[in-house]
Amino acid sequence: MNTSELMEVALKAGEILLCSGAEIYRVEDTISRICKNYGVDCESFVLPTGIFISTGGGKCESVSLIKRIRERSVDLHRIERINEFSRGLQKKTMSYEEAMKTLEDIQNTRQYNFITRLVAAGITAFVFTMLFKGNVKEASAALLISTLIYLINEKISGIGLFRIFELFVSGVIIGALSLLTVRIIPDLSIYKIIIGSVMILVPGVTITNGMRDALHGDINSSMLRLGEAVFVAAAVGGGVGFMLSIGLLWV
Amino acid sequence: MREMLLAFIGSLCAGILFNVKSKNLIWTGLSGALGWVSYILMNRATGGVIVATFIGAVAVGLFSESAARIVKSPATVFSIPGIFPLVPGIGAYTTVQYIFENRLSDAARTAVETIASAAAIAFGIMIVYAVFRILTRPGEKSKKRY
Repeated sequence: MNTSELMEVALKAGEILLCSGAEIYRVEDTISRICKNYGVDCESFVLPTGIFISTGGGKCESVSLIKRIRERSVDLHRIERINEFSRGLQKKTMSYEEAMKTLEDIQNTRQYNFITRLVAAGITAFVFTMLFKGNVKEASAALLISTLIYLINEKISGIGLFRIFELFVSGVIIGALSLLTVRIIPDLSIYKIIIGSVMILVPGVTITNGMRDALHGDINSSMLRLGEAVFVAAAVGGGVGFMLSIGLLWV
Repeated sequence: MREMLLAFIGSLCAGILFNVKSKNLIWTGLSGALGWVSYILMNRATGGVIVATFIGAVAVGLFSESAARIVKSPATVFSIPGIFPLVPGIGAYTTVQYIFENRLSDAARTAVETIASAAAIAFGIMIVYAVFRILTRPGEKSKKRY
């Protein structure tokens, strides 16, 4: 494998990690570890929105690559497999084709089918409404709303609109459906239904990851993630709040 | 006990949404249940949210690092779904909702609480990570292989 091919492999591994919601230090660590396994010294600079890697100087040829990252979600299985991949390289180096094939394979893993995820989203809402001291009726309402939201989100993201707008629309739908529910069954608390329903959308993990990046010294990324979390919360909360401020007049 | 079960199911479902492989799902559920129980006990004992969250995160961190060594997966696989019941997503949402309702001082209070609990979780996980790194420092031999 020559240097530019190696850099491509390292970049691809980094890209998969970053898209799967890994911490910045893990991405940088993996990239430099892969390169070191082939005896190449490389410098990487990773932000949540992009990866820059570069090598050169001395006797080796100089290569720089940039990759823009647009979508980030959390996929722990991919992180685990990339981890295995980079450890495997430490024991036994692979050829370019082999490595790229493994990475493609990792990128295409989709472990749970849509129905399972849908049910999981619903149950998450149910459980968290109960944890926040809601009763079974409220939790069931949250379960239905959350399942529907997950379904809608999956459909909208297929169209390819910007994500903040999707979240806003989801918020509006949650607000509308919760209003409808309390109108049909008046003795339920609308706030408890909403809390359970928004659980799968709110940026709790993003805020915490932002803080973790800060503790690792990646201040840039931490600020970006916290900023992202603020926008996500504003979009979801804005959607719900917008609907409630109109709807509560009507109810 | 009931809450423990709920937190268990909650983390397990979060594990499914975060695509943890099925063999590890049971561990993520346990991780979440343990974190939540520590949080609740500490919360009842002291009445404080932030310290309780920190203790919950430390519990999740300890569990994840140990589980990571037992089943040979990165600790993140267990800690991210494990902290899912603790993370202040609802706090972030409530802040925006208060702003909409024009209750600005309530909004400021929840905003600070949100940031503080996120920091508490991150700090709790990191402390455990650091301690485990110091205890199980890789020997000279494996260092040279890089």
